[in-house]
Amino acid sequence: MKGNIKKRIVKDRQMYLLLFPVILFFIIWHYIPMWGARIAFQDVMYIGANKWVGLKHFQLLFSSPVFLKVFINTVIISSMKMFLIFPLPILLAFMLNEVNSHNFRKSVQSVIYLPHFLSWVVIAGLFISLLASPEGVVNQIRIFFHLKPISYMTSTKHIRWVFVFSEVWRSIGWDSILYIAAINSIAPALYEAATIDGATHFQQAVNITLPAIIPTIITVFILNLGFFMNAGFDQVFNMMNDAVINHVDIIDTYVYRVGLMQGNYSLGTSAGLFKGIIGLVLILSTDKLSRKVTGEGVW
Amino acid sequence: MSIHRNGIGHYIIILVLTVCALILVYPLYNQLVISLTGSDYILEASGTTIIPHGFTLNTYKTVLAIPKVARGVLNSIYITTAGLIINIVFTSMGAYVLTKRDLLGRKFFITMIVITMIFEGGLIPDYFLMRKLHLLNSYWSVILYKAINPYYLIILMRFFDRVPLSLIEAARIDGLNETKILFKIVIPVSIAGIATVSLFYGVFHWNEYFRAMIYLTDEMKYPLQVVLRELLISAEKASFIGSMNFLKVTAAAQLDIKAIKAALIIISIIPILVFYPFVLKYFVKGRLQGSVKE
Repeated sequence: MKGNIKKRIVKDRQMYLLLFPVILFFIIWHYIPMWGARIAFQDVMYIGANKWVGLKHFQLLFSSPVFLKVFINTVIISSMKMFLIFPLPILLAFMLNEVNSHNFRKSVQSVIYLPHFLSWVVIAGLFISLLASPEGVVNQIRIFFHLKPISYMTSTKHIRWVFVFSEVWRSIGWDSILYIAAINSIAPALYEAATIDGATHFQQAVNITLPAIIPTIITVFILNLGFFMNAGFDQVFNMMNDAVINHVDIIDTYVYRVGLMQGNYSLGTSAGLFKGIIGLVLILSTDKLSRKVTGEGVW
Repeated sequence: MSIHRNGIGHYIIILVLTVCALILVYPLYNQLVISLTGSDYILEASGTTIIPHGFTLNTYKTVLAIPKVARGVLNSIYITTAGLIINIVFTSMGAYVLTKRDLLGRKFFITMIVITMIFEGGLIPDYFLMRKLHLLNSYWSVILYKAINPYYLIILMRFFDRVPLSLIEAARIDGLNETKILFKIVIPVSIAGIATVSLFYGVFHWNEYFRAMIYLTDEMKYPLQVVLRELLISAEKASFIGSMNFLKVTAAAQLDIKAIKAALIIISIIPILVFYPFVLKYFVKGRLQGSVKE
């Protein structure tokens, strides 16, 4: 047996040589930072070795009203995105499926995928110009109807909805791809038979299309649930401002601001670690859920 | 599914989809219009301007003459190109080896890579590591930290999986070593996969701003997105004039800030707009590949 293992390694030595830099990469840029995250349990010393302090920084974190707010913001923003946005790409895929003209469908599809490839810096720039000033298109329309212009980007009442809307703007097309593919793989014979039986389009959509894509819907939902703690750093970071910070500050922006900018390295790392552990638990349990519901895991 | 649909419902759907598509495109179109509006008309230009009055490219000339912006464009091209080459070489090396089913330890290595997708050390340990390696303020920091994206590695594995084994076996019998097989046979026959993954990496590098912002300290090394963020999101007109004081103050004063911002947005998305129509099908392919389980 031992000789066998040795033989296999020798036989594939060129393969291991090719793999070596790849594994080295993951060790350096992923596993060393994981080990580096131990500063969450230490006081960072500028001279000499760091001092282990146990859960001190976590206690500090959990007793901080700022972090409590940040945690609540993360949950609220993420929930709004998750539950309000989720059905929209499905609806879009259904509507595209109802279009007769192949060319029209293709044109709409190529347009709606585009925003996904823009950076959040650009998207934030676009939305600031759309929404912030009275010159933006939304306020121009309000003025046309004799309504008072609203500074959406600095309004605590509106900013979270700006997040939801800009997220839809960016990803509705891209997220519909999976559903469109699932719909396209339905056998045309099913629709033909239904038409002969006199089923209306609406009945066909409910009784043929919907059941066929339910596995895709469940898989995507479970996958999203696993990443629930990622409320969208790039979006929040680029769209936030002092006027709304209390309503939009999420864990990731907190880690950057308190940890890196203000130099509270241990506190920042413990916040990041806390989020990471919740994320890990969510991913592992949703994977288990997926195995139960669909018979296979998402990972 | 070429069943003909008609009736009022069909027209409503066409209408809704058209409105959706317009909403998605309009913000970009509006910026294009504003960036092309002449300085005499720019004050009246707003979110509802459909046609650029007093058409001019002057805004673009002025914007590209800002040293930071010009440097930013070059830095972005450099980081994207260098990053992409490294990405493709290492990602295909990993994908090729891990596609070999009977490799001893394959499962272990794959698990090791998948773990990095669901748990990470975080921003601050990353920053400390960069500092320890003396890579802060080096282009390498931005290029290397994502040299291999595990998601794209797995997508590429699915493409490599489809290369006929007989092709590889034949090459082995011909005495080619594994490196040659990878670069001379597997990559050339998986060009769709390489294209897909390259596009994802390319967009990633072009749009990257955050790590560049925290790792690079010399402003002349900033990629375009960081400059963009400074000028679009955090800056007011005063700092604009500051960054252009090499220009005659009058030239800068004539330009409206919104025209400058609009031109910057358009400049930053030109590469994406140019490639987009040709590469869309690869993106879609990649999206589907990424979702299918192994």
